[in-house]
Amino acid sequence: MTPAISAAGLTRRYRDQLALDQVTLDLQPGSITGLLGRNGAGKTTLMRIVAGHEFASAGTVTVLGASPAENETVLRQMIFIREDQSYPDFKVRYAVQAASLFYPNWSHELAGALIEEFNLPLNRRIRKLSRGMRSALGIVIGLAARAEVTLFDEPYAGLDPVARELFYDRLLADYAEHPRTVLLSTHLIDEAAGLFERVVVIDRGRIVLNMAADDLRGAATSISGPAIAVAEFTGGRSVWDRRRIASQESAVVAGALDETDRARAAALHLRLEPLTLQQVVVRAAGASMASPAEKNAERTSA
Amino acid sequence: MSTWIKVARYQLTDRYVFLISPWLILTLDFLINVGIVANYPGRQGQVYVGALSAIYIVLLTTGALAIARQLPFALALGVSRRSFYAGTALLALAVAAVYGLVLTLLQLIERGTGGWGLKLHFFRVPYLLAGPWYLSWLTSFVGLALALAWGMWFGIVHRRWGLVGLLSFIAVQALALTAVLLIIAGADDWHGVARFFTTLTIEGLTGLLAALTVALLGGGYATVRRLTV
Repeated sequence: MTPAISAAGLTRRYRDQLALDQVTLDLQPGSITGLLGRNGAGKTTLMRIVAGHEFASAGTVTVLGASPAENETVLRQMIFIREDQSYPDFKVRYAVQAASLFYPNWSHELAGALIEEFNLPLNRRIRKLSRGMRSALGIVIGLAARAEVTLFDEPYAGLDPVARELFYDRLLADYAEHPRTVLLSTHLIDEAAGLFERVVVIDRGRIVLNMAADDLRGAATSISGPAIAVAEFTGGRSVWDRRRIASQESAVVAGALDETDRARAAALHLRLEPLTLQQVVVRAAGASMASPAEKNAERTSA
Repeated sequence: MSTWIKVARYQLTDRYVFLISPWLILTLDFLINVGIVANYPGRQGQVYVGALSAIYIVLLTTGALAIARQLPFALALGVSRRSFYAGTALLALAVAAVYGLVLTLLQLIERGTGGWGLKLHFFRVPYLLAGPWYLSWLTSFVGLALALAWGMWFGIVHRRWGLVGLLSFIAVQALALTAVLLIIAGADDWHGVARFFTTLTIEGLTGLLAALTVALLGGGYATVRRLTV
């Protein structure tokens, strides 16, 4: 199957800064992918290049099998709503009307329902909207477009928790009826975790993690209890992190645990706790950050 | 092609920029002129005012706004830069044609009413808009299209290179003009220049302006292609 979004060796350099460094990525059609990472990690740059708004310094990107840059057939099937989306100086209703012009699958019903649910004031000028309301407008347009490839870059800045829940619900409901490829970047990882089928973590322009969300949920477990027991249990396993307070220790082990492992942990009076998506992501981003320092440390000790 | 039409419709979603503001300003401009001329004591003979230039200035800003304000959202909606530019240019040409016709009709009315009963020359401009109606229409069309195309290029330069880029762009145009003047001064051929302009017919001038409009549209098209948002 042709990937919906495919990047190979994608690099973007700005004067003295490397925003994207050899990004290679394939996203299958009909999936919701979370694009996670710290501020300035390169999420927006990646999405801008995928949307054809920015050009790569090196490498290639294809969307639905073709380069998106100035390619009308590809662009027609793609929408990209940014956190800082800039709108013309007109009323909310005109933004919705304008968007409906360009998308063959545009749903007036969905747009109307979402506008009502988000309490969007149709006759207010967009620049007079609050931050949350602007985000809601972007969400309405992004969902009602029913574009084959839907890119949301932190779509819910300033939205209250109720409205965010609403966004997750509506996205999933409409996605179930009209499958498409959704790439969603966010900082609210655990909140959105239920949406993702795949999680991509980007840090300082590099992809540090790219896994199916289900695999990721059991990918690491926190084990805590008496230090001796923890040491016994973790022996021979890959340990990400170890913390010790007096005789109590907690460690994070990578890899899934099976029934025997659990039985053994129970016998050793250890507490097991699977890491949340957010914890895994923080560690993945942290590991890539720590790696140069660790390498230096190894070099000095050697 | 259909995307171009959609872009034109998108540009007209907000009626103010293209449809309302030029005529609002021109109406105010006209009323002020009529008010002044009607109340000017000791007035004799024909009154010539250059106030029609207002609509050209408004359309220059219209062109700039049509790009600078509307482009980022259009790109978010999956419109290519090329289609956005082509659609906007298409609309600009249509608007210039229709507005040129309206100005020509107003000129005919002005002629028929003896300058609105005030001997006012508002829509009639000596040399430029003084010939038969179709020539006035053509010249108005080209002039308005020129203003829009020029404004559009300003808008693109601003989007692409920011304020510094825009100021440099203006400076380059000013320098080019200065260079032309210096060359003429250096050759000391002011007579030749005067001869050129006195022998230049309005048809010839309209043709020159049309060529300039095409050049401006080409420049804008070349600049928009690598624009990023």
